[in-house]
Amino acid sequence: MTSGRDDVELGRAGRSAQLARAVLDIDRVRGLAVESGRTDLVSRLDQTRTRLTGRDVPVAVVGEFKQGKSTLVNALLRTDVCPVDADIATAVPTIIRYGPRPAVIAHIAGPDGAVAKRAKVPFERLRDFVTRGDADEQLRAVEVQLNRRILSSGLTFVDTPGVGGLESAHGNLTLGTLPMVSAALFVTDARQELTGPEVEFLGRTVERCPQVVIVVTKIDLQAEWRRILDLNLGHLSEAGLDLPVVPVSSFLRLLAASRDSAELNTESGFPRLLNILHRQILSGSDAAAARAASQEAAFALAQLREQVSAEQAAVANPEAGPELVERYGEKARRSQSLAAGSAGWQTMLVDGIQDLSTDVEHDLRERLRALVRRGTVLIEQGDPRETWHEFQGWLAREATAAAVDNLFALVRRTEQLARDVAERFDLEFEGLDLDLPAPTVSLSGLAGPEGRFEKRSTTQFLSAFTAARVAVGGLVMFGAFGSLLGLTVAAPIGLAVGLTVGRKLLRHERDRQVEFRRQLARQELQRYVDEVAFIVGKDSRDAVRRTQRFLRDEFANRAALAERSSAAALAAVRQSADLSGHERDRRAAILDARGRELDQVAGNLSTPSAERDGASR
Amino acid sequence: MTAAVRPSGGGQLLGRVRTLLAQARDELDEPADQETVRDAVVRLDEPLRVAIAGMVKAGKSTLLNAMVGEELAPTDAGECTRVITWYRDGPAYRVLMHLSGGGQEVRPFDRVAGALRVSLGRPTDQVDRLMVEVPSRRLRQQTLIDTPGIASLSAQVSARTHTFLEADEDRPAQADAVIYLLRHMHGSDVRFLEAFHGDDLASGSPINAIGVLSRADEIGGCQMDSMDAAARVAARYHSDDRMRRLCPVIVPVAGLLAAAGATLREQEFRALATIAAGDMNDVVSLLLTADRFTSGSTRIPVLPAVRHQLIGRLGVFGVRLAVQLIREGVATSADDLAKELFARSGLSRLNEVLAVQFVNRAQVLKARSALAVLDSVIRGGKHPGLSAAVEEIRASAHEFVEVRLLHLLRSGRLPGRPEQLQEMERLLGGMGASAAERLGMPPDTVPAVLMAEAQESLTRWVRVAEHPLSSREVRTAARAAARSCEGIVATLSY
Repeated sequence: MTSGRDDVELGRAGRSAQLARAVLDIDRVRGLAVESGRTDLVSRLDQTRTRLTGRDVPVAVVGEFKQGKSTLVNALLRTDVCPVDADIATAVPTIIRYGPRPAVIAHIAGPDGAVAKRAKVPFERLRDFVTRGDADEQLRAVEVQLNRRILSSGLTFVDTPGVGGLESAHGNLTLGTLPMVSAALFVTDARQELTGPEVEFLGRTVERCPQVVIVVTKIDLQAEWRRILDLNLGHLSEAGLDLPVVPVSSFLRLLAASRDSAELNTESGFPRLLNILHRQILSGSDAAAARAASQEAAFALAQLREQVSAEQAAVANPEAGPELVERYGEKARRSQSLAAGSAGWQTMLVDGIQDLSTDVEHDLRERLRALVRRGTVLIEQGDPRETWHEFQGWLAREATAAAVDNLFALVRRTEQLARDVAERFDLEFEGLDLDLPAPTVSLSGLAGPEGRFEKRSTTQFLSAFTAARVAVGGLVMFGAFGSLLGLTVAAPIGLAVGLTVGRKLLRHERDRQVEFRRQLARQELQRYVDEVAFIVGKDSRDAVRRTQRFLRDEFANRAALAERSSAAALAAVRQSADLSGHERDRRAAILDARGRELDQVAGNLSTPSAERDGASR
Repeated sequence: MTAAVRPSGGGQLLGRVRTLLAQARDELDEPADQETVRDAVVRLDEPLRVAIAGMVKAGKSTLLNAMVGEELAPTDAGECTRVITWYRDGPAYRVLMHLSGGGQEVRPFDRVAGALRVSLGRPTDQVDRLMVEVPSRRLRQQTLIDTPGIASLSAQVSARTHTFLEADEDRPAQADAVIYLLRHMHGSDVRFLEAFHGDDLASGSPINAIGVLSRADEIGGCQMDSMDAAARVAARYHSDDRMRRLCPVIVPVAGLLAAAGATLREQEFRALATIAAGDMNDVVSLLLTADRFTSGSTRIPVLPAVRHQLIGRLGVFGVRLAVQLIREGVATSADDLAKELFARSGLSRLNEVLAVQFVNRAQVLKARSALAVLDSVIRGGKHPGLSAAVEEIRASAHEFVEVRLLHLLRSGRLPGRPEQLQEMERLLGGMGASAAERLGMPPDTVPAVLMAEAQESLTRWVRVAEHPLSSREVRTAARAAARSCEGIVATLSY
């Protein structure tokens, strides 16, 4: 069962007891599906298993400029990977994940903005790539693969650019990636308390990211760090943010690693951070994945059980045979229509997508229109020649903020739609069984565990809409949004300088020139905003299309499975009609045993929760 | 050729402005306006007003203490300065509180660990500012204004600084110049500088902000090469176009080091010497982190309370540096150590830059401020004669011309070869107002040599000004440079 699997993959699952149990469950059900000859269920379970074992748990490291994010990542890994220097800053997101051999891969965007190329890069050039982030290279992200234990559990760190600070365009892009990650570490140093912009960014982070931990760095350099910590706790509680705060010293941790000193390691404060990473973040993420896997297993089991139950009913009660044939035939037909064209859930999906698209487009238009209005006001306030540089920065920042907020609205709406469609599908799916005889009624004197897999209703399809987020989010994670940064606001001010030194101020002349520059500035503003609208609109539409396709395929697939189950049940019932009494009894015994086995497996399906597991290091 | 212009001092300019102000006082009829003009006249004779601004915890109060040479402004781990506080020279220590609604009262104060602790006796929003009078030679040259940090969590507190420093329709800027403390080039910093900078070319662009890369000792992680790292960062900011336009010079300063150097006490030196004399391993272990230094147990016989005080006064870098200097035998006494710390803090370079950019230009800066005040009272075109006179001074005063050109030059908007532009910047007074500085010659050069050089420059620039192929901008700039040369020649002929 485990032959041919990469040790490392199992290693990841092995770190977490709940994941391991989930994998076992899947394997067990898979075995049963193989025995029943249901290759469709087998392939679905295989996919689930891959998702479980190959899963990344991305943790974004965010924070202001120069607060020690890159050093923190290095300290967590106990090795110098992210480039650190007083004088430079990370310009491009750096993704650090597990890999059997050290490697550096550059994610380069193609002409349409989406990541097209992944080019291998020699390790010595890593620093260049991470700190330059030049626009013409279309570099979106740098991926580093390392063979470190902390990564083998599936934890993936994303070092985000600090360039320009939280309020810059980069800061907004970082916010945009947050719905996609499992957790965020917000880094602030111990030299001063949280500033206004930091608290604001934290608020927006918490909206988008399920788990946020605040890390206070550089405590080794500040005698007053405990005071700062207290002040921060106060500010957080005032802002209504109830988040864990962990003080650390990356310097001590790295020193501890080089000297192999447990004492220094404890002093560094990292054990607590690692504890949180494992017990809260990893475990929480694993619990969600295990839950989804468990539901897949339950679903597959229900399909298998149905076939057995149908045959049991036919065998126990031969006269009911024709009726059962008819019922299961009907069910097969119904599941077919559930998968094909006009089922209610599909209409809801199509209509919902249309509404969603329209609303999201409208939202973007509104935001951009407001942006143009504000930009125009700013242009009117001064001479563009003086303020252009600053204006560019403002415009880039506000445009990305608008794009990111619009995307977030899209993600939320999509989730809601997925939930609604899942509920609808579930209703219709359950409706397939409305007038089928309950197995226990037709069977005589059968003792045994009650089928413990009550229809769990909407939660059965939980995985569908968590996955919907993934489908949408693929856009954001360093996709075309990165190209927003490359979008330049041109400088239309290459005009004659027009010095006004001299005895007489040519006031009229000067005013005329200023007005002319303003006009150019307004045109440029509009052009830029139009380009942003084009890029974001296109990405939005792509994301929406992807989500629609994903949801449609997902539910159609389930309906198809139900159809096959019904067809298999039908065939079994038909077959049992030709059995002699003796054969029937024998068959009943086999079915009995099989049914009990299925019930037992269903009963033993683990119910995952955010259990404590894993060890802090 | 118009009347000779003295390139340094601008005494004539100030004279013209004074005359104009007197004229305005007579012409204006609103008593409030007259009051404003009277204040403006008084301000002309006062020391230059230099505000210290920057983000929260940038190190403003510490720098102020270092500049004055004594502990005055309170500093603290958490955000501290909440009210705009002026420090000026006076016969005795006194604190005057100006209320928002008008009126003022003398407030009691005491000194807590050196710093002034003033009891306001009312909520801060009723206070407009505090005026602290201190007998201090250094404050005779300039009045220093400590401001609350921008980007504070309390937007209200930061707003006070914005309101204070930015000129708007009704109120001209209160400060003549700004020392702006940056730790990194943050969005808030740039926005703030832009706002203070203003963008009205007609009012004579302000070259009145100096950038200080503050807490420079922490930039390199308090390692021994921190100050070098800071210098590199400052140089990089200097080469950024946007920063250069707003802040022509950026100086890295470790304020805490400077303050400690200025006020080092004998027992502090002895404590540091005891530490330095300890076993190498003990010393390294003690200096490893702030916590270990403050409260770690060690064989070195210096009490934790003493160590806590030391690190509060010198910072981690300061302590490490001091111990290293003592161990290496570079500093063998409290005086030595104080001098060394001060020398490495970057403050002397800041003082030099202050002298060039502010003090020697004081007259021009004050004249500019006075004209701005006048502008604010004669708005609405009710006094066309006065408006015209203000325009005339602005357009013609060569000092203003120089200042405007320097601004354009530093924004990179004047075409020309780099050497040409550099020479122009020098001639216009960008590196110093004295004749030698303008000509780029050592300060002790004989006047005769200076004169020859000045005349040679003059000829050269006149040629550029008259060259048919030079662009219009270059010709105008060259004419101004030539004027400056004429001014130098005129001064040297006295």
